[in-house]
Formats: sequence, structure tokens, C-alpha cells
Amino acid sequence: MGQVLVLGLINAGIYAVFALGVVLVYRGTGVLTFAQGEIGTLGLYVAYVLVTEQHLPWLVGAAGALLVTTALGAAFELLLVRRMVAADPVSTAVLTVGLGLTILACEFFFFGASPRVLDPPFLAASFTVAGVVVTPTQVAALVVALALGFGLQAVLRRTDFGLGILAASQDAAAVRLVGIPLSRITLVLWSGGAFLAGLAALLVEPTVGTVTPGYASELFVVGLAAAVIGGLTSLPGAVVGGVVLGIAESAASRYLSDANIPGLRYVTVFAVLLAVLLYRALAPELRRRLAPAPAGATA
Amino acid sequence: MTLLELHDVTAGFGAVTVLHGITMSVAEGSIAGVFGLNGAGKSVTMKAIGGTVPARSGQVLFEGEDITRLSPEKRVARGMGHVPQGRQVFPQLTVEENLRLGAYTLRRKDKGRYGPALDSVFDRFPVLKQRRQQLAGTMSGGQQASLAVARALINQPRLILVDEPSAGLSPVAQLELREVLQVVKDSGVTMVLVEQNIAFGLSLVDTAHLLQTGVVVHTAPVSELDDDTLATHLGIGKVLAGATGSALSARKGSKR
Amino acid sequence: MTSAAVRPLRLQVGRLPVPWTVVALLLAAVVPPLAGGTALLSDTHALVLAKGAGFAMAALSLNLLMGYAGQISLGQFAFVGIGAFVTGMVTGVEDLRLPWLVGVLAAAAAGGLLAFLVGLPALRLRGLYLAVVTISVAYVCWQGLFRIESIGGGSAGKVIPRPYVGSSSFSSNADFLALALVALVVVWAVDAQVTRTRIGRAFRAVKADEQVAASFGIDVAATKLLAFTLAGAMAGVGGAVYGTAYGTVTGDTFDYATSLLLVVIVVVGGLGSRAGVVIAAFFTVLLPDLLVALFGSGIRGLDLVLNGVLLMLTVAFNPEGMAGAVRHSRELRRQRRGGEPPLPPTRPHLPDLGRPAGMPAPRKTRPGTAVLEARGVSVRFGGLQAVDGASLRVDRGTIVGLMGPNGAGKTTLFNALSGALTPDSGTVHFLGEDVSALPPHARAARGMGRTFQLIGLAKDQSVYENLLIAQHLAAPYGVLAALTSLGSRGWEKQVRERADHTLDGLGFGRFRNTPVGRLSHGQQRIVEIGCALVTSPELLMLDEPSAGMSPAAAEDLAATLLDIRDQLGRTVLLIEHNVPLVLGTADELYVMDTGRVIADGEPGEVVTRPEVVTAYLGQAVTA
Repeated sequence: MGQVLVLGLINAGIYAVFALGVVLVYRGTGVLTFAQGEIGTLGLYVAYVLVTEQHLPWLVGAAGALLVTTALGAAFELLLVRRMVAADPVSTAVLTVGLGLTILACEFFFFGASPRVLDPPFLAASFTVAGVVVTPTQVAALVVALALGFGLQAVLRRTDFGLGILAASQDAAAVRLVGIPLSRITLVLWSGGAFLAGLAALLVEPTVGTVTPGYASELFVVGLAAAVIGGLTSLPGAVVGGVVLGIAESAASRYLSDANIPGLRYVTVFAVLLAVLLYRALAPELRRRLAPAPAGATA
Repeated sequence: MTLLELHDVTAGFGAVTVLHGITMSVAEGSIAGVFGLNGAGKSVTMKAIGGTVPARSGQVLFEGEDITRLSPEKRVARGMGHVPQGRQVFPQLTVEENLRLGAYTLRRKDKGRYGPALDSVFDRFPVLKQRRQQLAGTMSGGQQASLAVARALINQPRLILVDEPSAGLSPVAQLELREVLQVVKDSGVTMVLVEQNIAFGLSLVDTAHLLQTGVVVHTAPVSELDDDTLATHLGIGKVLAGATGSALSARKGSKR
Repeated sequence: MTSAAVRPLRLQVGRLPVPWTVVALLLAAVVPPLAGGTALLSDTHALVLAKGAGFAMAALSLNLLMGYAGQISLGQFAFVGIGAFVTGMVTGVEDLRLPWLVGVLAAAAAGGLLAFLVGLPALRLRGLYLAVVTISVAYVCWQGLFRIESIGGGSAGKVIPRPYVGSSSFSSNADFLALALVALVVVWAVDAQVTRTRIGRAFRAVKADEQVAASFGIDVAATKLLAFTLAGAMAGVGGAVYGTAYGTVTGDTFDYATSLLLVVIVVVGGLGSRAGVVIAAFFTVLLPDLLVALFGSGIRGLDLVLNGVLLMLTVAFNPEGMAGAVRHSRELRRQRRGGEPPLPPTRPHLPDLGRPAGMPAPRKTRPGTAVLEARGVSVRFGGLQAVDGASLRVDRGTIVGLMGPNGAGKTTLFNALSGALTPDSGTVHFLGEDVSALPPHARAARGMGRTFQLIGLAKDQSVYENLLIAQHLAAPYGVLAALTSLGSRGWEKQVRERADHTLDGLGFGRFRNTPVGRLSHGQQRIVEIGCALVTSPELLMLDEPSAGMSPAAAEDLAATLLDIRDQLGRTVLLIEHNVPLVLGTADELYVMDTGRVIADGEPGEVVTRPEVVTAYLGQAVTA
């Protein structure tokens, strides 16, 4: 049981950071972004070039990766999102699909399908919790996720600019009319989302030490589900969603290991996601059925 | 002194031109009304002044300076305030959070002025002080209208643009709104008011600008307007003439 | 307008949006290899084109979902994979060895079933949940399901034998290409047939506005689920063809990226345009070889980059895709010829069409029975008593007004009367029948029509299309009738005739194909009332029809309301803030405040009562 929890929490941090990026963008713009995974992979390739090929320190590689991903998010907003003819959230969501596909294709084009090796962030010794070997990177991922989840929430509520982001999600036009530069809000949101995608990917403990095209997308799928499970608009909810899926995954791999199910991670995520959506779809109906009939209903 | 001037402003969306050369000026401390039929360009005129629909040609002057190319946000920072159409308060923020956002540019310039500004708004709208922690979306239509006006006032603007404030409000809430706008008027802030409800508009404004197909066809002080002029330019016929006429005569009566 | 006019990008696709042109083209490709025996195409090219046909069907399936029903699937290629593997399991030499056609049908069934199961929870919620869920489906299939030995055939892959008829087999690629194109034509025809019917109209209405769709009696969740299921079945057929073209498929044939490629094809081809999508699908399949032929093999892989960029540019700058560009150039040409059409009148002449055959005749009632009678209706939202024991009676052939301050509960009561929400207590009788427990579409079927505070029309659809959508309940044929066109023709004829009559009556003939969103607010209001009247409801319920209207338009509206009562003999229930309008039209007036009815009676007298003046008017009205 303890093992399941520890193993679950190890992955939870990464899922949660991916989910936070999704929620941040969705909260402020109403757009569901599907490019986070590939933005993250791109960051890993940048780090690979700097650290493995150029032999620079890991931190320099990480800084470079975050710089590139953040700049990419900003460029995406400035060059495309801002200039869209039909700027409804669904079209912008499809636009992010295009971005993800483009980055994925570029990864194949420039690096090919063969795996590239990238060192983990901390080479410090790992330690054991409840019989599970835990590395410093894994602890860092969870700490970063929790700090970001609750820290960002505080920023949104406490600062004028954060309040402006909340207001923008309710009525973007009115935000401009109280004098808050809406373009700055969207720029910050899209680059912030991309930054979080890069960060999430960097926090992945490279279990096999390799990066391939689409590598971070496989984790982002889970992060996206975590964001939906957390309610899509709640930053702490995203962290909770990540923890739920992390533990569900480790429980499944522990108790279903004999069944030898291929792609167990996705099967688990899919099952939890469908269950949550089914509950949400049926909840109003259930509540009505279960509620005691109001007095006088038969009058 | 003239606070706002429009010189031959054209504007529109995509291939459609809505404003075909609007020229008007608004004196400091006065209330200007913009009236017209559906599609005459009232709201677009307002948006051209506010900057959300930029002018394609012509000039918009504010305090004598050319602001034609400025973004809406910059215009707010220069002293324009908005009471947007449909009383767009932020429904899921509290009354106080709405006001804090209203004072966004004021707080950026000088945080110290926010406290007194908030107090003075609460003095004018005691109902907002009582409900400062309430979510704006849960207030009544009239109270939301008060909040929308207060949100514009707290930034201490020199000009307030009020876009169709009475639309969708019941008569009693309209009366409430009229009192609120009267408060603004008495405080000496200049106002531009667009109204579909001509009776309501005429009860407040000093000067009326009548629009037809994107052009100002008639400008006159309210005291010089008569039923025939309104009928000619706005197409008011028998069903509604009574209400408008009585509003007009009430205004004239109060002038005398 | 002449030289300065911006000319849209002219793509050389000619008049292809006409389906028969495509059918003829396909036949031209099919006949030579069949008849001549010697293929005109090289074997490799025939294979690529056969895969393209499968790809095109997959793209058509996503087009049905995205372009018509407005739902996004980011894992559509998983359904193609299901189709391919199921075909292999049904027809394979080491499996069931059944005929290929059985395999195709099984593939359709499997794709449809999976879509149904996945869509069941995801489509009951509003938003992009289907997109999120289908990404998971793509990964579950690609990394999980297709790696199971008995389904995916392990690392060697699944063998899918080519079909044979008698002794002759379709083993040559050119022959199989012919078969693949026939399959494509069949899928195209079914797709075209469905989108022409009430089912297709329901898809478009749901895409435009779910709430509006529901008000016309469309079951939104069921409609979305039907669209996704049909799309899954179409993708399954595409998979059967795609897989058979390959001969051997592995799980990696159906990776996540290819699902995204389908999104590119549908968006770039033009959402909702079959021809555009099919052309884009073939182009996408041919692109890699084309690039290599042009620039050498060093360029391999660039096609995917181009596709991604193309998708972004299309969404950002030309959201209607290449089909949209063709449509725009036509529209421009038409405008240059005819100039702007004149504005339609805002005071329509409303034709009396009588009850449509598909809807039950209004209940016969004894004289003196009210058209609508509500007794003690209460609705509670959380802590708020929105409607508190409201009673109201509407007699035949009258106009009844309902006024009250904002938040008094007028619209909530309206929703309880029309069935959009279930009251906590109280009863609603319509023509003497207790309809309290009926859902909105059942009440609509009995003769209740309504409009919305914000215009309740599918804004991106034409005036004519809206008039057809409004008759959803008047042509009650099912999915099978829609799929085969048997049994739907008569209904469709009737529905179109009624729409034509109404269009003429409204004086909107020249605006027949104009998207409603491009009309002025007042004109939209007229179309909305036309849509509410096209099924000849006994009772018309209007929620603030004059909101946002200029005084002159409000006057025309008043005249229209009187026409509805006096010329058509219908009954009207009207929520309004425009006091002169109500006083000028209503026979009886109810006033609500804080959820209760505080006054009713003759309008001129009601507005003088002190409680009405205090709660609502604020000052006396001189009528």
C-alpha cells in the first residue's frame, strides 16, 4: 500500500505540472490546448543539444529549454492566436493541434526516430521510501507541482493582474474597458503555459535516459486527463487530478501486473477519465432522483 | 471647453463600413446623447470613441490630443471610463474585486489614491458597501447597473461612455439607473450616452446627436428638440410617441 | 468594388463541390482497370491511391463529426485501426475466413460500437471532452489494444487477405483500387444522404447552438452520440479498405500522429465539404512521394511538417478551408452581378399553413378550456425561490402579457411552462391535458412554440435551413429512413414546402440562403417568430421580443403580434419590458415580483394598481 502511494506520487508531480499548464491557459482564455506535450518534448531536445552535444552544465541546458519553450508559446500567441479570423475557443484548440503536429514533425525531421540521451537533473544519490527507490528529481517534481498549484492560485486572487486574468475568462471585452491590456494577459498565459510544459518535461526522470519524438506527449495525455478530472478551471484541482491518476496508475501496475496488459498506463487513465465524466454527466440526474420529493409536489 | 471631438470618423467591420464620417463634439461637463435606429451606428460610434473598433479614417481628439491610434487600454489610462452594453460586470468576482479592477490604471499610477477613491464610491453607492463581498452576478439588475457605473467612476475618469444602459431593465430598475446616472452627472463628469430607449435618454442628456446610416443628421440641445424632428429622423410613430413626448415635455418643463 | 476588391485565393478545384462530378471522376478511374485488365497506373501508384481511398473515408468520417456535428475527435485513426484489425480477424486465413464484404460490415459495426461506448459518457457533457477522451482512446488502442497478440498479430502484424470473387481475386493493386473507390463512393453517398435529412439538420443545429437545437425538439446528447457512432462506423469501413490495401498491418500503422493528420485534412479541405476533404485526403497521401520526386529523398519527413504548418495557417487565416475559398469566390461573383439585395420588410405577412401532417392535431377542447393553465408553480434554485406558487391562465385567441422586474422569475416560469426545467411543485395544463411531466420536445409536439430572450436561431445556418430545423418534430422519420432515403422523401417534400411558404410570407425570399447571423437584430427576430410559427403551434410564447429593437421596429412587432392573434387566430404569451407595446397589444396582463404573481387583469387597469407601480413601474403610466 505504501509502495503504491509512493510510486503514485512520483509520477503525480509530472502529470500535475502538465495539467497546470492546461488549466492556466484554459482558465484565462477558455481554450483547451493540445500542444503541451510536444512543446515539452521540444524543450527536451533543446536540453539534449546543449547538455549532451555541447557538454554544457545541466542547468544551462534546462534554462535554454525553458527559454525556447516560453518564447515558442509567446510567438504562437503573437503570430497566430492574436491574428485569428474566427477566434472562438474551438478553432484555437484546433490551432494548438496544428502546433503540436508541426513540432512533432520537426522532431522527426531534424532528429529522426532514434533515441537521444539526456542526463537527469540531479545526479545526487537516490534514497528509499517505503521500499521504493526515490530519486531527488522525483521529489523535485512533486514539490514543484504543489508549489505551483497553490502559488499560482494565490497570484491569481491577490494581484491586480491575476484578477484581470480571472476577469478575462468571464468577459474578455470588458477587461479592456477597465484599462487592463488584454493582449498582455493572453501573451502571459500562452507563454506561461508553454513554460510549464517545458518544466514538466524537464522534471521527467529519464528512466531509460532517452528522448524520442513524441516522448513527452505520452505523459501529457495523462496530464490532460488530470486537468479534466480536476475540473479544468481549478489549479489545485489539477494537482489533485495528477495525484489521483498517479496513484491509480501505480495501483493498476501493482495489482494487474500478472494480467500483462499492454499500455496499462493509458488503459488506467482512460478508465478513470470515463468514470469521472460518466459521474459528472449523470450527477444532476442522480441528485434529482435521490433528493426527497418536495412537499406539495403532488398537489 | 471641448473635451472630446470626432472629425469625419469612418469605421466598420471587415468589408462593411458602418460609420460614414461622424463629426461631433462633446463639451466638458455636459452629457451628450447619441440616438438612432437599429443599425444607424450608435454602438459603433461608441466603440470608435473607446477604441475597440478603431477609426479607419478621420480623427478622434480627447483633451485636444489625437488619440485615433491609441488602444482602448491606453485611452482608459488617459481618463476614459466605460459602462459597457449589457452592464458587463464580472459576475464571478465580488463587488470589491470588480471595483479593484475598475481602478486598475489608478492603482498602477498611485496605489495610495485607491483607498480614498473606494471610500468616495461607497459614499455615493451605499448598497455596494453593504454588498462588497457578494458575487456581482448574484445582484439584481439595478444593483449591477450601479456597480458598472461605480466601476467606471472609481478610476476617476474625465469622460464616461455609457452604452445602452437601460436595455433589458424593468421600469423600476430604469428609475434606479436614472438616479445613478444623475449622481454621475451632478459630480461633473462628462458623459456620452447611447440609448435605444429615447424617452430614457432624453431625460438625461444635454445635447442630442441623431444618427442615420452612419452619419450625424441632426445635433441640437434637448431644449430645442421637438416631436417632429424626432419623428423625421428616428421614425417614431404612434405606438411610442406618447412616452417620448411626455419625457420631452417633462424635460422642457424642468428647464423652465 | 472592381479593382480594389480583395480577390480570395483561387484554387483550381473547379466545380467539384457537386457530388456527381466526383462520382464521374471516380468511375473514370475505376472503369479502365476493370475493363482493360492491364492497369493504366503503375502498381505502386495504384497501391498509394487505394490507401488514399481508405484515408479519404476516414477523413469523411471526421468531417461528419467536426464539420456537421461540431464535435472533435483527436483519435479518429484508432477507429480506422479497429476496422482494419477486425477485417483481418474476420477474413484472415488463420481466423474466420469469411468473405471480405462481411469483414467490411464487421469493421463498420466494431467502429460504430466502440464510438458509441466512448461517446456515451463524453458526449453528455458540453465542451471539448470528446477531444480529450479520444486522445486517450488513440493511446489505449495504439499502445494497448493493438499490441495484444490475438488482435494485432504481434510483431509480425495482422495479415488481411485481398478479397476474391469466385476464382478471380483482387490481388493486383489496380483491381483493388477499383474496389476501394467503389467503397469510397458508397460511403460518400451514405454521408451525403444523411446530411440532407432531418438527422443532418439536427447535427448542424447542435453544432450551431445546443440550447437552440433543444428548443426545436432535438435531443442534443442523442444527436451527438449518433454522429460519433456513424463516424466510428465510417472510419471502420475506411480501416477495412486501408488495411486490405496494405495486406499486413501492425499497431504502429495506427499511431496518434495520423489521427492528427486527419484533422489537418478535414480543416484544410474545408469543414463540411466532402469534395474538399476527399481531395485533401488524396493529396496528403500523395504528398510524401511527390516531395521526394521533386526534391530527392533527403526531404523525406518534410510532408508532415508542411501538414502541421498548413493546419495552423488555415485555422488562423482561412478557417473555411479550400472549399470555403471556392465558395467565397462564387459569392463575390454573384454579388458583382446582382449587387446588394434590398432589405426585407420588418412587418411580415404570416401565412396560415395549418398543422403539419407529422404532428398530432391540437387536442379538441370544450369551450372555455384554457390553452395554457399553470397552477401553483414553484421553482427553487439552491437558496433562491425563483418562482413561488405562480398561477396563470391563457385563453384561446388572446395575447397575454407577463411583466415584472429583472429577476422576478418571468423567464424561469416560462421555462417551467415550456418544459425546459421541471418545477418543484405545481401543474401545467396545455389544452386541458396535464403536461407537467413532459419534456420540452413533447410539449413542442403538442403545439407550444417559443422564442428566446437572446435570439434562438442557428446563427451560422441560412434562413431556409433554420426554417427546416424548426420542423424537426414535423417530419418524424428515423435513422434508417434517413440512411436509405426510403420513407423520408414525402416528409422532406412537405417540410420544404412549408419552409418555402413561410419564407414568402415573411418576405425573406431573397434572404433564403443568407446566414441568419448576417441579418440585423430586428430581422432575426422576425425569422425567429417565423420558425416558431412554421409548425403552426396553438400557443406562441415570446420572451422579450422587442429587446434591442428600435422604436420603429417595435411598432412593426406590435402589428405582427396583432396579426398572429387576429389573422391566424393563435394565442400568444408575451414577456416584455416595453410597457407601451404590452398596453397596445395585450388582452390580459400578469405582473410578477420576487417569484409571485402580484397582479392580473385588464392591462390598462393593472398598471394603475399601487403594488404594480411600486414593484415594477416606479411611476404611474398614463395609458
